[in-house]
Amino acid sequence: MDNIKLIINFLGQLLPAINITLIVSLSSIILGSLLGLLLAAAKMSESVVLRVLARVYVSVIRATPSIIMIFVVYYGMPMLFNNWFHTNIDGWNRMYFVIIALTVLFSAPASELFRSAHESISKGQMEAGLMVGMTPFQTFYRIILPQAFVVALPNFANSVVNLLKEGALTFTIGVVDMVAKAQMIVANNSGGYAWQTYCALALIYWVISLAVDKGVSLVEKSYQAKRKTIAV
Amino acid sequence: MLTIEGLKKGYEGNEILKGISIDVNKGDVISIIGPSGSGKTTLLRTITTLEAADGGHITFAGVDKDFEKLNGKDINTIRRNVGFVFQNYNLFNNKTALQNITEGLIVARKVKKSEAEKIALDALERVGLSDRKNHYPSQLSGGQQQRVGIARAIALNPEVIFFDEPTSALDPELVGEVLKVMQDLANSGTTMVVVTHQMSFARDVSNRVIFMADGHIVEQGDPKKIFENPSEERTKKFLTDILANV
Repeated sequence: MDNIKLIINFLGQLLPAINITLIVSLSSIILGSLLGLLLAAAKMSESVVLRVLARVYVSVIRATPSIIMIFVVYYGMPMLFNNWFHTNIDGWNRMYFVIIALTVLFSAPASELFRSAHESISKGQMEAGLMVGMTPFQTFYRIILPQAFVVALPNFANSVVNLLKEGALTFTIGVVDMVAKAQMIVANNSGGYAWQTYCALALIYWVISLAVDKGVSLVEKSYQAKRKTIAV
Repeated sequence: MLTIEGLKKGYEGNEILKGISIDVNKGDVISIIGPSGSGKTTLLRTITTLEAADGGHITFAGVDKDFEKLNGKDINTIRRNVGFVFQNYNLFNNKTALQNITEGLIVARKVKKSEAEKIALDALERVGLSDRKNHYPSQLSGGQQQRVGIARAIALNPEVIFFDEPTSALDPELVGEVLKVMQDLANSGTTMVVVTHQMSFARDVSNRVIFMADGHIVEQGDPKKIFENPSEERTKKFLTDILANV
């Protein structure tokens, strides 16, 4: 009983830091998806150079552990900016570095799942669009994309949950997110109540990922329900 | 109205079309028959610019050019003046039967939504599917999907409608309803070019039959003549083979 009370107490202390986790995750998901879209387009482009570049990029990023990516961005980018653009970015909010690292990390699986979703839609859909006079872009936007979106959804949810967990490494460069907060709580208690603290933290991650799953299945269901109810 | 001269097309060194010339006049119903691999489908796809041709000349809807010299604007013009009915229907899976028809009208032709829906309902009426207007393709039988496909093509009121083996993917018992719709269209004066294995359609509905083999037009003419008294040995053999299997 005491343990449960403790966990609830720690939940209350950890939750305020959820903002940082959500900001970092959401920004990386949005930016990473956009980058992933560009990469997917590059992978399917007619230019060999673009295709090879995209493939090399994705294979390198996929092989990089997230903690290493965060460190490379955190230590490497300021140097790069200094040498190339003669700009000092040491003073940047550390959160930006994490967002950049996670964006890069997320773009690789995102590009892969966008490409496969796009390829799962039959070529005939595009041809039919062209034959009723629509442009390739209009057909892509109105016909292909909505269908590919539904195909990509479950895998996309998976990638989002993965990113959320990788985001737990944010604390490693000194951003005070929920994990860092948990460490502080444990330190303040001189190492006591450690497992209760981390249990509370795990609980929060569990609920978030549950919410992501639930959200996705709701969207999927509404899509199917729409088709059923209209045609009676 | 549509003239094609010396159309050529190859894939990876394989010549599929070896210089095809055809003339389509207003109100023509032309059946293209021939063994598989003779280039019938490729012919439709190159004329409608779904595939780029390697050579030849097209005169159609104000475009009068060699195929290689077609620019984006010409391609648009050609596409806006043809209708295409696919073997696999290719209805937009995320749209209802009605939306399948209005989509091109609203997005490409800039017709007002209410106007587009009126046109679409008329088109569905013509193919006998008014009561299925809110169904998605996955909720329609193959025959119904193909009829929506035909309605989608006629709603745009194109100069000519191309049919690429419109009944080949259908279960045998569903072929009749699609052929019936096509026959009605033909009777109403729609200009049609039909690649088909339905010899009854070629013989009884079309006013001209083109027999293709190995990327050439072997013979063309009045259906009665082609079916009853073909002048080429190749045509004779094809018809004997195919009619033996009916």
